[in-house]
Amino acid sequence: MEIRLSSVLLAAALLSGCGWFHRGDKKPAQVTVEEPQAEPSIIEPQVSRREVKTPKIKAKNFEVGAYFGALSIEDFGTNPIYGVRAAYHVTEDFFLEGFLARSKAGLSSLEDVFPGITVVSNSGRQFTYYDLDVGYNVLPGEVFLGRGRAFNTALYVTVGMGDVKFADQDQFALNFGVGTRVLVTDWLAMHLDVRDHVFESSLFGVDKNVHNIEATLGLTTYF
Amino acid sequence: MVYVVGRDEVLTVLYSRTDWYKVRAPLGTEGWVRRADLARTKLNSGEPAPIPPYPDFTTHRWELGASYGVYNRQNLVSVYTDYAITDSIDIEGVLQQALGTLDNRYIATIGIRHTFVPEWRWFSPTAGIGTGYQYIQDKVPPAPLQDSNQMAYASLGARGFITRRFMWRADWRHYVVFNRLNVNEELEEWKFGLAVFF
Repeated sequence: MEIRLSSVLLAAALLSGCGWFHRGDKKPAQVTVEEPQAEPSIIEPQVSRREVKTPKIKAKNFEVGAYFGALSIEDFGTNPIYGVRAAYHVTEDFFLEGFLARSKAGLSSLEDVFPGITVVSNSGRQFTYYDLDVGYNVLPGEVFLGRGRAFNTALYVTVGMGDVKFADQDQFALNFGVGTRVLVTDWLAMHLDVRDHVFESSLFGVDKNVHNIEATLGLTTYF
Repeated sequence: MVYVVGRDEVLTVLYSRTDWYKVRAPLGTEGWVRRADLARTKLNSGEPAPIPPYPDFTTHRWELGASYGVYNRQNLVSVYTDYAITDSIDIEGVLQQALGTLDNRYIATIGIRHTFVPEWRWFSPTAGIGTGYQYIQDKVPPAPLQDSNQMAYASLGARGFITRRFMWRADWRHYVVFNRLNVNEELEEWKFGLAVFF
């Protein structure tokens, strides 16, 4: 037993001695092993990566349509009017709108009383205007038709400027309006508008502001 | 609110109008969702829904607008389009109708405009130069010696952001009207307008 113990101690001493001897030795040079060349693969993967593109969401902020109604031309009676309109909805509340319309004036009260007098020539009776307006949806809401149908609506006010050609003369005109838009479907809207076109006229010899109020019904579509 | 889409259900976006998006639920029900609510949904891949951002006012490219003003003491109606070559240099084309008591004038101009500090959103000064034509339609005799003239202008102005795609623009212009007389006619104009940018 004693011999065995001593041999174990001897072995331990020898081993530690080996360790001592090797203390100052350089580290063995690192060997780089060349990687074996990859074997040519038999099947080339032909996976073409599909580029996933998210489709653009179409914005339908433009509104285009036509309208007709009655225009009261100051001193010249009330006459039919028809026109076209186009709007761009900038936000939920604000929109910019353009109008182009035409009507034909009737006889003035002076011409009615004195048939021999002509205030405006026949070609001058054309009443044509264009307007550039800014509009604001004051009261957005809904109307209900029966129990199961609801339509989006908006009561809006517009203010704008433009040109009125009447009596063969172009006049600068301001316009003020109020209207209701009823969305029959999401792409079709019905409009009821009342607008006043104000401009300065001297047809009867005195400069005065004339008010020409129109009430119109229109249909527009969004795209 | 008329309909609730369950968690993890698929919503198809059809189109947008201002801040609302028309969507279709799995069983075919269609309705409108606010932009802010739609932005909280995710794509099938788990990425956030790609709601297009509002256009950046500083780096926008196109402008389309209309303005009211005074040209040669006449009421002026203008429409204009503007293309930005860089954030601070624009090319602008303007069509105008000046309505007066003696004559009406139709004016078309093209020019370049420099915006001094495009990063200033609410108010940024501008300056520009350009050339154009005016056509005079007389209302009261005698007729003008020339009914069309070439012109050149220098302008000072300002622009600012309002909301979303909406902006305002103000402009003062000094025109030199080239004519056959010894002295060129000089005119002034100012205008204020609203525009949308893209």
